[in-house]
Amino acid sequence: MAAFMEEALVEARRARDAGEVPVGCVFVHGDVIIARGGNEVNVHRNATRHAEFICIDATLAYCREKHLPARQTFSEISVVVTVEPCIMCSAALHTLAVKEIIYGCENDRFGGKTVVDVAAVVGQQINITGGVRAEEAMALLKEFYKGDNPAAPPVAKKRK
Amino acid sequence: MDACSPPVAKRAKPVEYDLDDLFGIKALLSDEYKQDIRLIKAHSCQLESKQQLQAVIQELAKKLPHFQHLKRVHDRNVLICPTADIEDTLEQHLKQHQISDHVLEALCRNVNVVEVPASSAKLRVQYDQMIKYWPCKFHPDKYAESLQNGSNFTTSQRLYHKRMAQLLRNLSRDLNKGQPVAICVDPRQPSIVAIAGSNESANTHKHCVMWLVDYVARSQQGGAWQSQLDFVEDEQNTTKTLSGLPQTYYDYLQGHEHCEDLQYGAELPRRTNNVEFQDDQLTSADNLSKYGPYLCTGYDIYLLREPCLMCAMALVHSRVKRIFFLEQSQNGALVTSFQLHAVKELNHHYEVFQFTT
Repeated sequence: MAAFMEEALVEARRARDAGEVPVGCVFVHGDVIIARGGNEVNVHRNATRHAEFICIDATLAYCREKHLPARQTFSEISVVVTVEPCIMCSAALHTLAVKEIIYGCENDRFGGKTVVDVAAVVGQQINITGGVRAEEAMALLKEFYKGDNPAAPPVAKKRK
Repeated sequence: MDACSPPVAKRAKPVEYDLDDLFGIKALLSDEYKQDIRLIKAHSCQLESKQQLQAVIQELAKKLPHFQHLKRVHDRNVLICPTADIEDTLEQHLKQHQISDHVLEALCRNVNVVEVPASSAKLRVQYDQMIKYWPCKFHPDKYAESLQNGSNFTTSQRLYHKRMAQLLRNLSRDLNKGQPVAICVDPRQPSIVAIAGSNESANTHKHCVMWLVDYVARSQQGGAWQSQLDFVEDEQNTTKTLSGLPQTYYDYLQGHEHCEDLQYGAELPRRTNNVEFQDDQLTSADNLSKYGPYLCTGYDIYLLREPCLMCAMALVHSRVKRIFFLEQSQNGALVTSFQLHAVKELNHHYEVFQFTT
């Protein structure tokens, strides 16, 4: 299954080339990629357009087209994503009860495992495997941010 | 008032008076603002003489830097360390930390176990509790106090929030079959930027908060999801945009007398040329007035129901200023099953308020 990480990395590079945060994702159903996408936050002015959400929407369209029951299809999907899903995406994937999540590097800002234990809050356990080609995923992020996150608020303005 | 007298014609009064009876607004502060304080056990000792104080304090500050939120000395009593830190004996522990012999000798006399506050006081009520145990440091925070006692809003602000609460109820009942509704407001005027209901789609992840975020994106010439609804079209040369508002909600509000004085629309994005914006232009774009609309920066969100974890995090990503909600939900992530806004590691924190009836 980890072989699909290459495809997720392709999506991450595509996102980078479009000026988006370089995170990519593919949804795998029975050894076939049925959805793929990278971050689309900037183009849509919508901070929730993460790669995983692009794939969730694409999967629903796929289910409609193929007349497949969505809930069951999600339960058979392996999510392969270059960066640990954030709390929002992780909550969505746990609620949809996907089969498993395989990710590259950790997300120490927003991670749905590292920062908040999403499985405990949502009340749903999913197999999660991290660290698959983590260095490449991290290198893409570092290259993009060059040590500084342009989307983060100014550090000096500490709110009381 | 005589209980037998006929009811006063309250309905004739303006809506404002009724609202005051219906709702209060309570700030949901994180646990560190809780009134019952946490205590820990600590070793303290009583020095023989005050002459020893300086040497003892200097060495403790360097080698056992505990209790930053407390005063280290209370009369001639000195706080040494939490009892939980000690594996063997206090003397051994002090030796391990290279406490010099004469200080060690001073510290090991008249040793007591005392209970002291585990963390610093955020509010005066906490401080008043804490000083009963041990003298502590306290830096009053006027804003936190006002959130706690409810004096943070002016009368007109409070009234507006309550009107939005009433509006959520009405919109849910009249247009959304009792399902959740969400409103986004630019609090500067205040002006309604976007309204979303959750009956648009049965998909498990398309909650009304997610729609709302996308409708706000529409007001910034973005938006990702196809909607069945028509949106208000802007007139030419307008200074603000109504494009985050579905026509049905807008028409409903226009048709209701008590909504007459409400304002609608969002400020247009400042970068009006059609060049795709670059990330580096957004470096410090978290100030609505300074930089113009960007995501939900500076906006308030009013929700019929407490958001789930996915939606609560979507609102963190969107940089909203404040969340007001009416009803708690089973899977709510702000008070019921979690307190997302109390997670310190996140890079944005909104304030959370609940309407109380």
